[in-house]
Amino acid sequence: MNAKHLSDDELNRAVLGEALAPEASAHLGMCLVCRRQRDGFLALVEHARAADPDKAMRERAREGALTTWSGVQRRHWRSWLAVAAVVAILVLVPIVRTYAPNARAVDADAVMAGVEKVLDRDPLAAVASQEIVDTLVPSNGASEEGSES
Amino acid sequence: MGMAAAARPGTGVEQEDERQLLEQARRGDREAAACLLQQHELAIFRTCRHLLPAGEDVEAAVQEVFLRALRALGRFAGECSFGGWLASIAINLCRDRLRRRRLIPFLPLEVEDEDAVSPLAVLPSPEPDPERVAMAREAVRRLRRELHRLSARQREVFALRFFVGLELERIAEALAVDVGTVKTHLHRALQRVRAAVEEARP
Repeated sequence: MNAKHLSDDELNRAVLGEALAPEASAHLGMCLVCRRQRDGFLALVEHARAADPDKAMRERAREGALTTWSGVQRRHWRSWLAVAAVVAILVLVPIVRTYAPNARAVDADAVMAGVEKVLDRDPLAAVASQEIVDTLVPSNGASEEGSES
Repeated sequence: MGMAAAARPGTGVEQEDERQLLEQARRGDREAAACLLQQHELAIFRTCRHLLPAGEDVEAAVQEVFLRALRALGRFAGECSFGGWLASIAINLCRDRLRRRRLIPFLPLEVEDEDAVSPLAVLPSPEPDPERVAMAREAVRRLRRELHRLSARQREVFALRFFVGLELERIAEALAVDVGTVKTHLHRALQRVRAAVEEARP
């Protein structure tokens, strides 16, 4: 029996629960020494494994993460609401200012009367500035002054 | 391997259900998110417990893992299982903590927890023979010591397989490697740990 004990590699495979060759598998079924090596190691590993956390600890970790995450989600919603509000204000204010009736009513008749008055006095004032008009068409007073000199 | 079956995450929820829960959780459904986490929390606790350096607050670490996962739910495209993805977040967090701890050398990476050893569970005989108790104690001590001598990747693979109870495929997902690589690391780790433990036997 000794000569046929499982090799290290075969024992490793047995420990890992991997398939063994038929002869090795048959040997493991019969050999107490090899089985004890495998089972002893698995028991040792199982023993070295730390105790699992209790239910309360697991719940605390989970709930802690979920609470923080939910808070972040809510904050995201609030951020989006704030952004939406700012966008709405930026879009709506110019629209309202364009279409809303002007608060300061303009006296159109008075304006038109002023325009008429200017045009009566000098018709070119509507198309050219006074300086250009004076240069191109000197007033009578200016030409008389020139002729006198 | 009873512990593996007990620890296997995700068995309570069918894949389709998990997909639905994921969708609901992505839309902010707290209950769905809670249900998802609950399915995998034991595996995550075990992962953190065995991969974090000694003295780290496991509960706080698990909470951090969950929070990172919840915040990244929108980025989880389903290219691997949710459990594997969650495990990868846990592993990365543990690596971060380990790296940070290595920068502070006066804090131990491991703690010998001899009081937690109940050697009767290791050996089949029920008699509390002092000599056998001492042997079992020594075997556990050697196992733990050898685990900390393994490479980081070997230790992760060993812990995920034997302490967390993950299947090889899930370990591969969590570590973003193929199953063959996981097997190679596992066999090497097992070879070293078994050799160290065998030395303690008469």
